[in-house]
Amino acid sequence: MGGHPLAQLRLFVRRHGFAWALILPTLLYLLAFQIYPLLQSVYLSLTDLSLTRAGTGKFVGLANYYYLLKSDPQFWLIFRNTFIWVVACAVGQYLFAVPAALILNTKLRARGLWRGLIMVPWVTPVVVVGIMWRWILDGDSGLLNYYLNVLGLIEKPIIWLGSDFWVWPAVISASIWKGFPYQTIMLLAGLAGIPKEVHEAAQVDGATPVQRFFLITLPLLAPVSVVLLSITVVTTWTKFDLIWLLTEGGPGFTTSILPTYVYSNAFVFYKLGLASAVATLSALVVMVLAIVYMRWVNTDVE
Amino acid sequence: MKDSTLFRVLLSIGKYSVLAVVLIFTLGPFAWLVVSSFKPAEEIFRQIPTWYSENFTLANYRWALGPLGANIGRFLSNAFAASAGTALLSLLFAAIGGYSLARYQFPGYKAVSVVLLLAQMFQGPLIMVPWYKMAAALGILNTKLVLALIYGTTTIPVSVWLMSGFYRHVPRTLEEAALVDGCSRLGALWRIIVPSAAPGLVATTLFAFVTAWNDYQYALILTSSDKAKTIQVGISELVGFMGMSNWGGIMASGVLATIPIIFIFAYIQKYLIEGLTAGAVKG
Repeated sequence: MGGHPLAQLRLFVRRHGFAWALILPTLLYLLAFQIYPLLQSVYLSLTDLSLTRAGTGKFVGLANYYYLLKSDPQFWLIFRNTFIWVVACAVGQYLFAVPAALILNTKLRARGLWRGLIMVPWVTPVVVVGIMWRWILDGDSGLLNYYLNVLGLIEKPIIWLGSDFWVWPAVISASIWKGFPYQTIMLLAGLAGIPKEVHEAAQVDGATPVQRFFLITLPLLAPVSVVLLSITVVTTWTKFDLIWLLTEGGPGFTTSILPTYVYSNAFVFYKLGLASAVATLSALVVMVLAIVYMRWVNTDVE
Repeated sequence: MKDSTLFRVLLSIGKYSVLAVVLIFTLGPFAWLVVSSFKPAEEIFRQIPTWYSENFTLANYRWALGPLGANIGRFLSNAFAASAGTALLSLLFAAIGGYSLARYQFPGYKAVSVVLLLAQMFQGPLIMVPWYKMAAALGILNTKLVLALIYGTTTIPVSVWLMSGFYRHVPRTLEEAALVDGCSRLGALWRIIVPSAAPGLVATTLFAFVTAWNDYQYALILTSSDKAKTIQVGISELVGFMGMSNWGGIMASGVLATIPIIFIFAYIQKYLIEGLTAGAVKG
Protein backbone atom coordinates (compact mmCIF):
# COMPACT_ATOMS: atom_id res chain seq x y z
CA MET A 1 0.00 0.00 0.00
CA GLY A 2 0.98 3.64 -0.36
CA GLY A 3 3.62 4.83 -2.76
CA HIS A 4 3.47 7.49 -5.42
CA PRO A 5 -0.01 7.92 -6.95
CA LEU A 6 1.46 7.53 -10.42
CA ALA A 7 3.22 4.33 -9.43
CA GLN A 8 -0.03 3.07 -7.96
CA LEU A 9 -1.82 3.86 -11.19
CA ARG A 10 0.84 2.01 -13.17
CA LEU A 11 0.41 -0.99 -10.91
CA PHE A 12 -3.36 -0.87 -11.30
CA VAL A 13 -3.10 -0.74 -15.08
CA ARG A 14 -0.68 -3.63 -15.14
CA ARG A 15 -2.90 -5.75 -12.91
CA HIS A 16 -6.36 -4.84 -14.07
CA GLY A 17 -5.81 -2.88 -17.28
CA PHE A 18 -6.71 -5.75 -19.58
CA ALA A 19 -9.96 -6.57 -17.77
CA TRP A 20 -10.96 -2.92 -17.70
CA ALA A 21 -10.04 -2.34 -21.33
CA LEU A 22 -12.40 -5.14 -22.36
CA ILE A 23 -15.39 -3.90 -20.38
CA LEU A 24 -14.77 -0.19 -20.95
CA PRO A 25 -16.44 -0.01 -24.40
CA THR A 26 -19.66 -1.36 -22.90
CA LEU A 27 -19.54 1.16 -20.06
CA LEU A 28 -18.84 4.07 -22.40
CA TYR A 29 -21.69 2.99 -24.65
CA LEU A 30 -24.12 2.92 -21.76
CA LEU A 31 -22.77 6.24 -20.46
CA ALA A 32 -23.40 7.94 -23.80
CA PHE A 33 -26.63 6.29 -24.81
CA GLN A 34 -28.35 5.52 -21.55
CA ILE A 35 -27.01 7.42 -18.56
CA TYR A 36 -26.71 10.67 -20.47
CA PRO A 37 -30.31 10.44 -21.82
CA LEU A 38 -31.55 9.69 -18.30
CA LEU A 39 -29.89 12.83 -16.93
CA GLN A 40 -31.06 14.79 -19.96
CA SER A 41 -34.58 13.61 -19.16
CA VAL A 42 -34.31 15.07 -15.66
CA TYR A 43 -33.13 18.36 -17.15
CA LEU A 44 -35.91 18.44 -19.78
CA SER A 45 -38.46 17.84 -17.05
CA LEU A 46 -37.50 21.22 -15.60
CA THR A 47 -38.24 23.04 -18.88
CA ASP A 48 -41.41 23.92 -20.76
CA LEU A 49 -40.10 22.45 -24.04
CA SER A 50 -42.83 21.92 -26.61
CA LEU A 51 -42.45 21.09 -30.28
CA THR A 52 -45.59 22.94 -31.34
CA ARG A 53 -44.78 26.33 -29.83
CA ALA A 54 -41.76 28.46 -30.71
CA GLY A 55 -39.50 29.91 -28.02
CA THR A 56 -40.09 27.11 -25.54
CA GLY A 57 -37.42 25.18 -23.68
CA LYS A 58 -37.04 27.74 -20.90
CA PHE A 59 -36.16 26.60 -17.39
CA VAL A 60 -39.38 26.51 -15.35
CA GLY A 61 -38.19 24.79 -12.19
CA LEU A 62 -40.61 22.27 -10.77
CA ALA A 63 -43.64 23.64 -12.64
CA ASN A 64 -44.24 20.39 -14.56
CA TYR A 65 -44.15 18.39 -11.35
CA TYR A 66 -46.51 20.82 -9.61
CA TYR A 67 -48.87 20.51 -12.53
CA LEU A 68 -48.77 16.70 -12.56
CA LEU A 69 -49.09 16.17 -8.82
CA LYS A 70 -51.45 19.06 -8.01
CA SER A 71 -53.62 20.08 -10.96
CA ASP A 72 -53.48 17.37 -13.65
CA PRO A 73 -56.91 15.72 -13.46
CA GLN A 74 -55.57 12.44 -14.91
CA PHE A 75 -52.21 11.91 -13.25
CA TRP A 76 -53.29 10.10 -10.09
CA LEU A 77 -55.73 7.92 -12.00
CA ILE A 78 -52.91 6.99 -14.37
CA PHE A 79 -50.52 6.40 -11.48
CA ARG A 80 -53.01 4.05 -9.83
CA ASN A 81 -53.69 2.33 -13.16
CA THR A 82 -49.98 1.66 -13.57
CA PHE A 83 -49.82 -0.14 -10.24
CA ILE A 84 -52.89 -2.22 -11.02
CA TRP A 85 -51.56 -3.10 -14.46
CA VAL A 86 -48.09 -4.03 -13.29
CA VAL A 87 -49.26 -6.12 -10.34
CA ALA A 88 -52.05 -7.81 -12.31
CA CYS A 89 -49.66 -8.71 -15.14
CA ALA A 90 -46.95 -10.06 -12.85
CA VAL A 91 -49.32 -12.05 -10.62
CA GLY A 92 -51.56 -13.18 -13.50
CA GLN A 93 -48.60 -14.45 -15.50
CA TYR A 94 -47.30 -16.22 -12.40
CA LEU A 95 -50.62 -17.95 -11.72
CA PHE A 96 -50.54 -19.37 -15.25
CA ALA A 97 -46.84 -20.13 -15.20
CA VAL A 98 -46.84 -22.25 -12.02
CA PRO A 99 -49.23 -24.96 -13.28
CA ALA A 100 -47.64 -24.85 -16.74
CA ALA A 101 -44.17 -25.34 -15.23
CA LEU A 102 -45.35 -28.10 -12.89
CA ILE A 103 -46.93 -30.05 -15.73
CA LEU A 104 -43.94 -29.57 -18.04
CA ASN A 105 -41.67 -30.76 -15.23
CA THR A 106 -43.36 -34.18 -15.01
CA LYS A 107 -42.52 -37.13 -17.20
CA LEU A 108 -44.30 -36.58 -20.51
CA ARG A 109 -44.09 -37.94 -24.02
CA ALA A 110 -42.36 -35.46 -26.33
CA ARG A 111 -41.74 -33.07 -23.42
CA GLY A 112 -39.09 -31.13 -25.31
CA LEU A 113 -41.59 -30.33 -28.05
CA TRP A 114 -44.19 -29.04 -25.59
CA ARG A 115 -41.57 -26.99 -23.78
CA GLY A 116 -40.59 -25.44 -27.09
CA LEU A 117 -44.15 -24.76 -28.26
CA ILE A 118 -45.05 -23.00 -25.03
CA MET A 119 -42.53 -20.30 -25.91
CA VAL A 120 -44.39 -19.19 -29.05
CA PRO A 121 -46.17 -16.25 -27.33
CA TRP A 122 -42.91 -15.05 -25.81
CA VAL A 123 -41.20 -14.70 -29.21
CA THR A 124 -44.24 -13.38 -31.06
CA PRO A 125 -43.68 -9.66 -31.73
CA VAL A 126 -45.88 -7.46 -29.56
CA VAL A 127 -47.44 -5.84 -32.63
CA VAL A 128 -48.60 -9.24 -33.81
CA VAL A 129 -49.88 -9.99 -30.31
CA GLY A 130 -51.79 -6.72 -30.58
CA ILE A 131 -53.52 -7.52 -33.89
CA MET A 132 -54.19 -11.11 -32.85
CA TRP A 133 -55.95 -10.07 -29.64
CA ARG A 134 -57.79 -7.17 -31.20
CA TRP A 135 -59.18 -9.64 -33.68
CA ILE A 136 -60.09 -12.22 -30.99
CA LEU A 137 -61.64 -9.53 -28.74
CA ASP A 138 -63.43 -7.80 -31.60
CA GLY A 139 -67.02 -6.90 -30.66
CA ASP A 140 -68.68 -7.95 -33.92
CA SER A 141 -66.66 -10.84 -35.35
CA GLY A 142 -64.39 -11.78 -32.44
CA LEU A 143 -63.80 -15.40 -31.54
CA LEU A 144 -64.20 -14.82 -27.80
CA ASN A 145 -67.73 -13.40 -28.07
CA TYR A 146 -68.67 -16.26 -30.39
CA TYR A 147 -67.59 -18.94 -27.93
CA LEU A 148 -69.11 -17.18 -24.91
CA ASN A 149 -72.33 -16.98 -26.86
CA VAL A 150 -72.20 -20.65 -27.85
CA LEU A 151 -71.64 -21.60 -24.21
CA GLY A 152 -74.61 -19.45 -23.26
CA LEU A 153 -72.57 -17.19 -21.00
CA ILE A 154 -73.51 -13.96 -22.78
CA GLU A 155 -76.53 -12.86 -24.78
CA LYS A 156 -75.23 -9.67 -26.33
CA PRO A 157 -71.71 -9.34 -27.69
CA ILE A 158 -69.31 -7.51 -25.36
CA ILE A 159 -67.24 -4.67 -26.80
CA TRP A 160 -64.21 -5.80 -24.80
CA LEU A 161 -61.81 -2.98 -25.59
CA GLY A 162 -64.45 -0.26 -25.56
CA SER A 163 -66.00 -0.98 -22.18
CA ASP A 164 -64.75 0.70 -19.00
CA PHE A 165 -65.38 -2.48 -17.10
CA TRP A 166 -64.20 -5.20 -19.49
CA VAL A 167 -61.18 -3.45 -20.94
CA TRP A 168 -58.91 -4.28 -17.99
CA PRO A 169 -59.59 -8.03 -17.95
CA ALA A 170 -59.15 -7.98 -21.73
CA VAL A 171 -55.74 -6.25 -21.82
CA ILE A 172 -54.50 -8.23 -18.82
CA SER A 173 -55.43 -11.49 -20.57
CA ALA A 174 -53.40 -10.47 -23.60
CA SER A 175 -50.48 -9.62 -21.32
CA ILE A 176 -50.74 -12.94 -19.50
CA TRP A 177 -50.68 -14.75 -22.83
CA LYS A 178 -47.59 -12.89 -23.96
CA GLY A 179 -45.74 -13.03 -20.64
CA PHE A 180 -46.40 -16.34 -18.90
CA PRO A 181 -44.04 -18.43 -21.06
CA TYR A 182 -41.01 -16.49 -19.85
CA GLN A 183 -42.01 -17.09 -16.25
CA THR A 184 -42.65 -20.76 -17.04
CA ILE A 185 -39.13 -21.18 -18.41
CA MET A 186 -37.65 -19.57 -15.30
CA LEU A 187 -39.76 -21.72 -12.98
CA LEU A 188 -38.77 -24.86 -14.90
CA ALA A 189 -35.14 -23.99 -14.23
CA GLY A 190 -36.04 -23.47 -10.56
CA LEU A 191 -37.85 -26.82 -10.42
CA ALA A 192 -34.87 -28.57 -11.97
CA GLY A 193 -32.82 -27.33 -9.02
CA ILE A 194 -35.00 -29.02 -6.38
CA PRO A 195 -33.31 -32.29 -5.37
CA LYS A 196 -35.41 -35.42 -5.96
CA GLU A 197 -34.52 -36.72 -2.48
CA VAL A 198 -36.54 -33.98 -0.79
CA HIS A 199 -39.72 -35.14 -2.50
CA GLU A 200 -38.94 -38.81 -1.98
CA ALA A 201 -38.38 -38.27 1.75
CA ALA A 202 -41.66 -36.40 2.06
CA GLN A 203 -43.44 -39.16 0.16
CA VAL A 204 -42.05 -41.76 2.56
CA ASP A 205 -43.33 -39.62 5.46
CA GLY A 206 -46.79 -39.81 3.92
CA ALA A 207 -47.15 -36.28 2.49
CA THR A 208 -49.85 -35.97 -0.19
CA PRO A 209 -48.99 -34.37 -3.55
CA VAL A 210 -50.90 -31.22 -2.49
CA GLN A 211 -48.99 -31.01 0.78
CA ARG A 212 -45.74 -31.55 -1.04
CA PHE A 213 -46.56 -28.71 -3.44
CA PHE A 214 -47.36 -26.18 -0.70
CA LEU A 215 -44.76 -27.28 1.85
CA ILE A 216 -41.83 -28.15 -0.41
CA THR A 217 -42.09 -27.02 -4.03
CA LEU A 218 -43.52 -23.56 -3.48
CA PRO A 219 -41.12 -22.52 -0.67
CA LEU A 220 -38.15 -23.82 -2.66
CA LEU A 221 -39.31 -21.84 -5.68
CA ALA A 222 -39.51 -18.64 -3.63
CA PRO A 223 -36.06 -17.27 -4.58
CA VAL A 224 -36.55 -17.70 -8.33
CA SER A 225 -40.13 -16.44 -7.99
CA VAL A 226 -39.03 -13.19 -6.39
CA VAL A 227 -36.44 -12.68 -9.11
CA LEU A 228 -38.82 -13.28 -11.98
CA LEU A 229 -41.69 -11.31 -10.46
CA SER A 230 -39.31 -8.36 -10.00
CA ILE A 231 -38.13 -8.69 -13.59
CA THR A 232 -41.73 -8.76 -14.82
CA VAL A 233 -42.72 -5.75 -12.72
CA VAL A 234 -39.86 -3.65 -14.04
CA THR A 235 -40.20 -4.64 -17.69
CA THR A 236 -43.96 -4.04 -17.57
CA TRP A 237 -43.31 -0.67 -15.93
CA THR A 238 -41.16 0.41 -18.88
CA LYS A 239 -43.43 -0.65 -21.76
CA PHE A 240 -46.33 1.09 -23.35
CA ASP A 241 -46.48 -1.09 -26.46
CA LEU A 242 -49.14 -3.70 -25.67
CA ILE A 243 -51.66 -1.31 -24.10
CA TRP A 244 -51.04 1.28 -26.80
CA LEU A 245 -51.65 -1.29 -29.54
CA LEU A 246 -54.83 -2.59 -27.94
CA THR A 247 -56.52 0.55 -26.58
CA GLU A 248 -54.24 3.59 -26.92
CA GLY A 249 -54.91 4.03 -23.20
CA GLY A 250 -58.66 4.26 -23.68
CA PRO A 251 -61.58 4.31 -23.50
CA GLY A 252 -60.95 7.80 -22.14
CA PHE A 253 -58.07 7.35 -19.72
CA THR A 254 -59.29 3.99 -18.36
CA THR A 255 -56.21 2.01 -19.42
CA SER A 256 -53.72 4.88 -19.50
CA ILE A 257 -50.54 4.03 -17.63
CA LEU A 258 -47.41 6.09 -17.02
CA PRO A 259 -45.61 4.67 -20.09
CA THR A 260 -48.52 5.54 -22.42
CA TYR A 261 -48.76 8.94 -20.73
CA VAL A 262 -45.11 9.65 -21.50
CA TYR A 263 -45.68 8.62 -25.09
CA SER A 264 -48.89 10.57 -25.67
CA ASN A 265 -47.60 13.72 -23.97
CA ALA A 266 -44.38 13.63 -25.97
CA PHE A 267 -45.39 12.31 -29.36
CA VAL A 268 -49.09 13.08 -29.67
CA PHE A 269 -49.18 16.48 -27.92
CA TYR A 270 -45.44 17.27 -28.33
CA LYS A 271 -45.07 18.48 -24.73
CA LEU A 272 -41.57 17.14 -24.25
CA GLY A 273 -41.00 18.92 -20.93
CA LEU A 274 -44.12 17.53 -19.33
CA ALA A 275 -43.50 14.07 -20.78
CA SER A 276 -39.99 14.14 -19.29
CA ALA A 277 -41.44 14.92 -15.88
CA VAL A 278 -43.68 11.85 -16.14
CA ALA A 279 -40.68 9.81 -17.31
CA THR A 280 -38.57 11.04 -14.40
CA LEU A 281 -41.25 10.15 -11.86
CA SER A 282 -41.46 6.69 -13.47
CA ALA A 283 -37.71 6.36 -13.30
CA LEU A 284 -37.81 7.15 -9.56
CA VAL A 285 -40.20 4.25 -9.01
CA VAL A 286 -37.95 1.96 -11.06
CA MET A 287 -35.00 3.13 -8.96
CA VAL A 288 -36.82 2.19 -5.76
CA LEU A 289 -37.77 -1.20 -7.22
CA ALA A 290 -34.17 -1.74 -8.33
CA ILE A 291 -32.80 -0.94 -4.86
CA VAL A 292 -35.29 -3.23 -3.15
CA TYR A 293 -34.51 -5.96 -5.67
CA MET A 294 -30.74 -5.70 -5.24
CA ARG A 295 -30.99 -5.59 -1.45
CA TRP A 296 -33.12 -8.69 -1.55
CA VAL A 297 -30.82 -10.59 -3.89
CA ASN A 298 -27.79 -9.63 -1.77
CA THR A 299 -29.26 -10.60 1.59
CA ASP A 300 -30.36 -13.87 0.03
CA VAL A 301 -26.79 -14.67 -0.95
CA GLU A 302 -25.40 -13.91 2.52
CA MET B 1 -56.45 -50.63 -1.23
CA LYS B 2 -56.41 -48.60 -4.37
CA ASP B 3 -55.83 -50.19 -7.70
CA SER B 4 -52.45 -48.74 -8.56
CA THR B 5 -52.72 -49.29 -12.34
CA LEU B 6 -56.09 -47.54 -12.47
CA PHE B 7 -54.70 -44.76 -10.31
CA ARG B 8 -51.75 -44.34 -12.63
CA VAL B 9 -53.98 -44.24 -15.71
CA LEU B 10 -56.21 -41.60 -14.11
CA LEU B 11 -53.19 -39.60 -13.07
CA SER B 12 -51.81 -39.71 -16.56
CA ILE B 13 -55.15 -38.67 -18.08
CA GLY B 14 -55.28 -35.74 -15.64
CA LYS B 15 -51.73 -34.76 -16.48
CA TYR B 16 -52.27 -34.75 -20.23
CA SER B 17 -55.56 -32.85 -19.85
CA VAL B 18 -53.79 -30.05 -17.98
CA LEU B 19 -51.10 -30.08 -20.65
CA ALA B 20 -53.78 -29.86 -23.36
CA VAL B 21 -55.44 -26.87 -21.67
CA VAL B 22 -52.09 -25.08 -21.34
CA LEU B 23 -51.25 -25.76 -24.99
CA ILE B 24 -54.68 -24.71 -26.27
CA PHE B 25 -54.41 -21.41 -24.40
CA THR B 26 -50.85 -20.93 -25.66
CA LEU B 27 -51.23 -21.93 -29.27
CA GLY B 28 -54.92 -21.18 -29.88
CA PRO B 29 -54.60 -17.42 -30.49
CA PHE B 30 -51.57 -17.96 -32.71
CA ALA B 31 -53.28 -20.73 -34.67
CA TRP B 32 -56.28 -18.43 -35.15
CA LEU B 33 -53.97 -15.78 -36.62
CA VAL B 34 -52.51 -18.30 -39.07
CA VAL B 35 -55.89 -19.78 -40.04
CA SER B 36 -57.41 -16.34 -40.59
CA SER B 37 -54.52 -15.34 -42.83
CA PHE B 38 -55.58 -18.02 -45.35
CA LYS B 39 -59.25 -17.06 -45.46
CA PRO B 40 -60.95 -14.83 -48.01
CA ALA B 41 -62.64 -11.75 -46.57
CA GLU B 42 -66.20 -13.13 -46.63
CA GLU B 43 -65.09 -16.12 -44.54
CA ILE B 44 -63.23 -13.93 -42.05
CA PHE B 45 -66.36 -12.02 -41.12
CA ARG B 46 -68.67 -15.04 -41.17
CA GLN B 47 -71.04 -15.26 -38.21
CA ILE B 48 -69.98 -18.82 -37.37
CA PRO B 49 -66.17 -18.92 -37.47
CA THR B 50 -64.36 -22.06 -38.57
CA TRP B 51 -60.90 -23.38 -37.71
CA TYR B 52 -60.19 -24.16 -41.34
CA SER B 53 -60.51 -22.24 -44.57
CA GLU B 54 -63.23 -23.45 -46.96
CA ASN B 55 -61.79 -21.48 -49.84
CA PHE B 56 -58.11 -21.57 -49.00
CA THR B 57 -56.45 -18.51 -50.49
CA LEU B 58 -53.05 -16.86 -50.68
CA ALA B 59 -54.61 -13.53 -51.65
CA ASN B 60 -53.89 -12.06 -48.22
CA TYR B 61 -50.19 -12.83 -48.63
CA ARG B 62 -50.18 -11.36 -52.13
CA TRP B 63 -51.80 -8.25 -50.69
CA ALA B 64 -49.26 -8.09 -47.84
CA LEU B 65 -46.24 -8.34 -50.11
CA GLY B 66 -47.58 -6.85 -53.33
CA PRO B 67 -46.92 -3.30 -54.51
CA LEU B 68 -50.67 -2.62 -54.74
CA GLY B 69 -51.33 -3.83 -51.19
CA ALA B 70 -49.42 -3.24 -47.99
CA ASN B 71 -46.07 -3.78 -49.73
CA ILE B 72 -44.41 -4.82 -46.49
CA GLY B 73 -41.21 -5.97 -48.21
CA ARG B 74 -39.57 -2.59 -47.62
CA PHE B 75 -40.47 -2.71 -43.89
CA LEU B 76 -39.11 -6.25 -43.64
CA SER B 77 -35.85 -5.18 -45.20
CA ASN B 78 -35.56 -2.12 -42.93
CA ALA B 79 -36.18 -4.31 -39.90
CA PHE B 80 -33.62 -6.80 -41.14
CA ALA B 81 -30.97 -4.10 -41.56
CA ALA B 82 -31.63 -2.51 -38.17
CA SER B 83 -31.71 -5.89 -36.42
CA ALA B 84 -28.57 -7.15 -38.14
CA GLY B 85 -26.80 -3.93 -37.14
CA THR B 86 -27.93 -4.38 -33.55
CA ALA B 87 -26.79 -8.00 -33.57
CA LEU B 88 -23.31 -7.14 -34.86
CA LEU B 89 -22.96 -4.30 -32.37
CA SER B 90 -23.95 -6.57 -29.49
CA LEU B 91 -21.66 -9.34 -30.70
CA LEU B 92 -18.71 -6.96 -30.67
CA PHE B 93 -19.32 -5.63 -27.16
CA ALA B 94 -20.35 -8.97 -25.68
CA ALA B 95 -17.40 -10.92 -27.11
CA ILE B 96 -14.90 -8.76 -25.21
CA GLY B 97 -16.96 -7.41 -22.28
CA GLY B 98 -18.35 -10.82 -21.38
CA TYR B 99 -14.85 -12.24 -21.30
CA SER B 100 -13.72 -9.58 -18.85
CA LEU B 101 -16.55 -10.40 -16.44
CA ALA B 102 -16.05 -14.14 -16.80
CA ARG B 103 -12.34 -14.26 -16.08
CA TYR B 104 -11.28 -11.30 -13.96
CA GLN B 105 -12.21 -10.19 -10.46
CA PHE B 106 -11.11 -6.61 -11.08
CA PRO B 107 -11.83 -3.71 -8.69
CA GLY B 108 -15.20 -2.32 -9.76
CA TYR B 109 -16.52 -5.71 -10.90
CA LYS B 110 -19.51 -5.39 -8.61
CA ALA B 111 -20.26 -1.85 -9.79
CA VAL B 112 -20.09 -2.94 -13.44
CA SER B 113 -22.55 -5.76 -12.74
CA VAL B 114 -24.92 -3.30 -11.12
CA VAL B 115 -24.67 -0.94 -14.10
CA LEU B 116 -25.47 -3.81 -16.49
CA LEU B 117 -28.49 -4.76 -14.41
CA LEU B 118 -29.77 -1.19 -14.10
CA ALA B 119 -29.29 -0.58 -17.83
CA GLN B 120 -31.84 -3.30 -18.52
CA MET B 121 -34.32 -1.62 -16.20
CA PHE B 122 -34.15 2.01 -17.37
CA GLN B 123 -35.65 1.51 -20.79
CA GLY B 124 -38.47 2.61 -23.04
CA PRO B 125 -40.41 5.65 -21.85
CA LEU B 126 -37.68 6.52 -19.36
CA ILE B 127 -35.19 7.40 -22.11
CA MET B 128 -37.21 7.91 -25.28
CA VAL B 129 -37.82 11.67 -25.11
CA PRO B 130 -34.14 12.65 -24.75
CA TRP B 131 -33.26 10.04 -27.38
CA TYR B 132 -35.63 11.66 -29.82
CA LYS B 133 -34.01 15.06 -29.15
CA MET B 134 -30.52 13.60 -29.37
CA ALA B 135 -31.29 11.84 -32.66
CA ALA B 136 -32.77 15.03 -34.09
CA ALA B 137 -29.71 17.04 -33.02
CA LEU B 138 -27.37 14.49 -34.64
CA GLY B 139 -29.49 14.39 -37.79
CA ILE B 140 -30.05 10.64 -37.56
CA LEU B 141 -33.80 10.59 -36.94
CA ASN B 142 -35.60 8.17 -39.23
CA THR B 143 -32.54 6.03 -40.01
CA LYS B 144 -31.72 2.40 -39.42
CA LEU B 145 -28.58 3.56 -37.63
CA VAL B 146 -30.46 5.27 -34.81
CA LEU B 147 -32.53 2.13 -34.30
CA ALA B 148 -29.44 -0.06 -34.00
CA LEU B 149 -27.94 2.42 -31.53
CA ILE B 150 -30.96 2.59 -29.24
CA TYR B 151 -31.53 -1.18 -29.44
CA GLY B 152 -27.95 -1.53 -28.29
CA THR B 153 -28.90 -0.05 -24.92
CA THR B 154 -31.17 -3.06 -24.40
CA THR B 155 -29.19 -5.80 -26.11
CA ILE B 156 -25.61 -4.96 -25.13
CA PRO B 157 -26.06 -5.33 -21.34
CA VAL B 158 -27.98 -8.60 -21.79
CA SER B 159 -25.48 -9.91 -24.33
CA VAL B 160 -22.46 -9.07 -22.16
CA TRP B 161 -24.11 -10.83 -19.27
CA LEU B 162 -25.07 -13.90 -21.32
CA MET B 163 -21.59 -14.16 -22.82
CA SER B 164 -19.91 -13.96 -19.43
CA GLY B 165 -21.92 -17.06 -18.53
CA PHE B 166 -20.93 -18.89 -21.71
CA TYR B 167 -17.24 -17.99 -21.31
CA ARG B 168 -17.23 -19.46 -17.79
CA HIS B 169 -17.89 -22.85 -19.37
CA VAL B 170 -14.67 -22.60 -21.39
CA PRO B 171 -11.90 -24.28 -19.36
CA ARG B 172 -9.18 -21.91 -18.17
CA THR B 173 -6.50 -24.39 -19.19
CA LEU B 174 -7.19 -23.52 -22.85
CA GLU B 175 -5.99 -19.94 -22.61
CA GLU B 176 -3.26 -20.84 -20.13
CA ALA B 177 -1.84 -23.20 -22.72
CA ALA B 178 -2.11 -20.51 -25.39
CA LEU B 179 -0.30 -18.00 -23.18
CA VAL B 180 2.49 -20.47 -22.51
CA ASP B 181 2.81 -20.96 -26.27
CA GLY B 182 3.51 -17.24 -26.57
CA CYS B 183 0.05 -15.97 -27.50
CA SER B 184 -0.82 -12.48 -26.26
CA ARG B 185 -3.87 -12.26 -24.01
CA LEU B 186 -5.87 -10.66 -26.78
CA GLY B 187 -4.58 -13.25 -29.22
CA ALA B 188 -5.64 -16.06 -26.90
CA LEU B 189 -9.09 -14.53 -26.60
CA TRP B 190 -9.47 -14.15 -30.34
CA ARG B 191 -7.92 -17.41 -31.51
CA ILE B 192 -8.76 -19.83 -28.70
CA ILE B 193 -11.58 -18.61 -26.47
CA VAL B 194 -13.94 -17.03 -28.99
CA PRO B 195 -14.02 -20.14 -31.20
CA SER B 196 -14.59 -22.35 -28.13
CA ALA B 197 -17.56 -20.24 -27.08
CA ALA B 198 -18.93 -19.99 -30.64
CA PRO B 199 -22.33 -21.60 -29.97
CA GLY B 200 -22.92 -19.15 -27.11
CA LEU B 201 -21.83 -16.25 -29.30
CA VAL B 202 -24.23 -17.30 -32.05
CA ALA B 203 -27.10 -17.64 -29.57
CA THR B 204 -26.34 -14.27 -27.99
CA THR B 205 -26.09 -12.53 -31.36
CA LEU B 206 -29.31 -14.01 -32.65
CA PHE B 207 -31.08 -13.11 -29.41
CA ALA B 208 -30.04 -9.50 -29.96
CA PHE B 209 -31.40 -9.79 -33.50
CA VAL B 210 -34.75 -11.11 -32.24
CA THR B 211 -35.00 -8.40 -29.57
CA ALA B 212 -34.42 -5.70 -32.17
CA TRP B 213 -36.78 -7.28 -34.68
CA ASN B 214 -39.60 -7.48 -32.14
CA ASP B 215 -39.27 -3.90 -30.87
CA TYR B 216 -42.18 -1.59 -31.44
CA GLN B 217 -41.92 1.33 -29.04
CA TYR B 218 -38.53 2.72 -30.09
CA ALA B 219 -39.17 2.31 -33.81
CA LEU B 220 -42.52 4.06 -33.38
CA ILE B 221 -40.96 7.27 -32.07
CA LEU B 222 -37.72 7.30 -34.08
CA THR B 223 -38.85 6.42 -37.60
CA SER B 224 -41.36 8.22 -39.78
CA SER B 225 -41.03 7.12 -43.40
CA ASP B 226 -40.50 4.09 -45.62
CA LYS B 227 -36.79 4.79 -45.47
CA ALA B 228 -36.48 3.34 -41.97
CA LYS B 229 -39.87 2.16 -40.65
CA THR B 230 -39.63 -1.40 -39.37
CA ILE B 231 -42.09 -4.20 -40.01
CA GLN B 232 -43.63 -3.71 -36.56
CA VAL B 233 -44.47 -0.07 -37.20
CA GLY B 234 -45.60 -0.97 -40.71
CA ILE B 235 -48.08 -3.57 -39.46
CA SER B 236 -49.39 -1.41 -36.63
CA GLU B 237 -50.16 1.29 -39.20
CA LEU B 238 -52.07 -1.14 -41.39
CA VAL B 239 -54.54 -1.52 -38.55
CA GLY B 240 -54.80 2.23 -38.30
CA PHE B 241 -55.26 2.80 -42.03
CA MET B 242 -57.43 -0.16 -42.89
CA GLY B 243 -59.44 -0.50 -39.72
CA MET B 244 -61.77 -3.43 -40.21
CA SER B 245 -61.42 -3.63 -43.93
CA ASN B 246 -58.55 -6.03 -44.49
CA TRP B 247 -58.00 -8.17 -41.41
CA GLY B 248 -56.90 -11.10 -43.59
CA GLY B 249 -54.07 -9.06 -45.09
CA ILE B 250 -53.06 -7.75 -41.68
CA MET B 251 -52.97 -11.30 -40.28
CA ALA B 252 -50.86 -12.44 -43.23
CA SER B 253 -48.41 -9.60 -42.56
CA GLY B 254 -48.29 -10.63 -38.91
CA VAL B 255 -47.48 -14.21 -39.86
CA LEU B 256 -44.71 -13.04 -42.19
CA ALA B 257 -43.22 -10.90 -39.39
CA THR B 258 -43.27 -13.78 -36.90
CA ILE B 259 -42.20 -16.87 -38.84
CA PRO B 260 -38.50 -15.96 -39.23
CA ILE B 261 -38.32 -15.18 -35.52
CA ILE B 262 -39.80 -18.52 -34.54
CA PHE B 263 -37.24 -20.34 -36.70
CA ILE B 264 -34.33 -18.39 -35.26
CA PHE B 265 -35.62 -19.00 -31.79
CA ALA B 266 -36.09 -22.72 -32.29
CA TYR B 267 -32.47 -22.83 -33.38
CA ILE B 268 -30.98 -20.94 -30.40
CA GLN B 269 -33.47 -22.08 -27.75
CA LYS B 270 -31.28 -24.59 -25.96
CA TYR B 271 -28.31 -22.25 -25.39
CA LEU B 272 -30.42 -19.20 -24.77
CA ILE B 273 -32.61 -20.74 -22.07
CA GLU B 274 -29.54 -22.12 -20.35
CA GLY B 275 -27.92 -18.68 -20.32
CA LEU B 276 -31.03 -16.74 -19.33
CA THR B 277 -32.04 -18.98 -16.46
CA ALA B 278 -28.56 -19.43 -15.00
CA GLY B 279 -28.49 -15.98 -13.40
CA ALA B 280 -32.03 -15.97 -12.07
CA VAL B 281 -31.89 -19.38 -10.45
CA LYS B 282 -28.66 -18.73 -8.63
CA GLY B 283 -30.35 -15.56 -7.32
